[in-house]
Amino acid sequence: MRVVSKREEAPGVRTLKLEFLNQEHHEFFRNHYQTGMFGLYGIFGEGESTFCVASPETRKDYIECTFRQSGRVTSTLAAVDAGDIVTFRGPYGNRFPIEEFEGKNLLFIAGGIALPPTRSVIWSCLDRRDRYRDVTIVYGARTVADLVYKNELDEWKQRDDVNLVLTVDPGGETPDWQDHVGFVPSVLEKVAPSPDNTIAVLCGPPIMIKFTLNALEKLGFSADNVYTTLENRMKCGIGKCGRCNVGSVYICKEGPVFTASEVQAMPQQDL
Amino acid sequence: MTRILLNSRLDDCLSAWRSAGYRVIAPSRSNNLTSFDEVASAADMALDLVLPERTIKDHFFPQTEPLVRYEIKKQQIDTEEMLPPDDKRVFFGVRPCDAAGLDIDDPLFGWDYKDQYWFKRRENSVIVTIACTKADPFCMCTSVNLGPDNPKGSDIMLHPLKDGRGWQMVTLTDRGKALLETVVPMLQEDAAETASLANVPVKFDVEKAMTWLADPANFESHFWKEISQRCIGCGSCTFLCPTCHCFDIQDEGDTYSGIRRKNWDSCSFAMFTMHTSGHNPRNTQSMRWRQRIMHKFNYYRGKFGVNSCSGCGRCTRQCPVDMGITETLQEITNTAK
Repeated sequence: MRVVSKREEAPGVRTLKLEFLNQEHHEFFRNHYQTGMFGLYGIFGEGESTFCVASPETRKDYIECTFRQSGRVTSTLAAVDAGDIVTFRGPYGNRFPIEEFEGKNLLFIAGGIALPPTRSVIWSCLDRRDRYRDVTIVYGARTVADLVYKNELDEWKQRDDVNLVLTVDPGGETPDWQDHVGFVPSVLEKVAPSPDNTIAVLCGPPIMIKFTLNALEKLGFSADNVYTTLENRMKCGIGKCGRCNVGSVYICKEGPVFTASEVQAMPQQDL
Repeated sequence: MTRILLNSRLDDCLSAWRSAGYRVIAPSRSNNLTSFDEVASAADMALDLVLPERTIKDHFFPQTEPLVRYEIKKQQIDTEEMLPPDDKRVFFGVRPCDAAGLDIDDPLFGWDYKDQYWFKRRENSVIVTIACTKADPFCMCTSVNLGPDNPKGSDIMLHPLKDGRGWQMVTLTDRGKALLETVVPMLQEDAAETASLANVPVKFDVEKAMTWLADPANFESHFWKEISQRCIGCGSCTFLCPTCHCFDIQDEGDTYSGIRRKNWDSCSFAMFTMHTSGHNPRNTQSMRWRQRIMHKFNYYRGKFGVNSCSGCGRCTRQCPVDMGITETLQEITNTAK
């Protein structure tokens, strides 16, 4: 795929916008991609890395992916320029059943670099805004600088039909920070909408998911109405290489999207 | 009356198979290692071995295997899929456990996305198995409901004759029949008594062990820490296992040209499941050993209806710290109610 543009989101975090070089591949993507799915992005000579497709299913002319520069592959991906070519395998995995969310309130909760998978669902719903009721987005990062998609956060903040709640970890605020200071689970307890007729979509690092699930339970959310993604290390993406399983569940095939009750049924030590 | 292949005609068979376009691969000794290699004559074969140290898996799912060749020019990448060659192969002198290993892995490589690299080799190979008349203390096929003459995965089964002159030949599949057709003139129609099969004692109660493993309460049992304390995470058991199939994908080359490869990997290695963030779902050796046992005797069965173990015993036989599936399942059988 060809890199159309590159955007700096936060220190070490970049978004690549990619367009298809091959019409047949693009057609396959159009016919198969649904929000929640992931892909393997790579550079020949360096290897492949697994990230979600951060763009929504309502915008399939291109693929966006957002990643933190960390290892060999992501460092090389971070260095590409518009016009360069990267590889993509996918879309793989299951999806958020967003048509089942229609007529309901939506509560999106994301931490740090986990806004990208959430953002794919957010835009998939906002692009069909009339099908959903109240939309609340709770997003937290360690520091103000670490918040990703700053332009889109501004856009959501200005929309009347979106309630955006931002928070940074204590110590991560700047002098002019107007929003919340505190960890996502505790902020959530203050701002969450009623669990009645509400679906929660939660993405974040394992430790945040663990405490946020507790907070949601306390707020009265049924585990069947809470969706999350599990993103384990993967190599093949097609259920063969043997590493992404949690207990008997292969994240690449049966996931990455699960309800909280499905996650609770998995062996917790394997998460 | 059955078909008999005499030892003295084996070289003639090899010639006939080669003329028919087959490469012949058999257990052999080289550099202090016993493995399956291409042989020129019957004298190169090490048919006296209970089992070669390495499995025939090496020839179906090689330790390193090229997937794609890439070449990058200005704003353009040329790729070429590197499927294995179309060569027909006879595997002679395979043991039933190794043959069964192939059969066990078929559904894994076939589900959802069919792995052409595996199946192309499978379809071009004929497995000629020799039933076992001897076993060593590590053999445990009977413990996993297989046995010294189990036909699973074999195209032809050879039963050694009691007088040691050769083997009785039983074809099991169409592929086996086709191979037999090429050597009919070298075979005898004769009545002959076959040697008695190896006595492989049952070492553990696999059903009982599976019931214990299926109980979620046992997942966090202290048992796993105790049983795996001396595991050094070397991965030998996985590499020498006829059914272990985990792999990594790595690029070999530079920015301009090279090969993307599929390489063996092992659930014993800490890096296997390590996230970029540093979080590691299976961050201790006991979790990794538990994964190996659970995968073989619980998860795999749940997905594909068979256990991912054919009872060859290599994991114990070649373990540098004397661990293995046998000990773990024996302990489970002993402690389970």
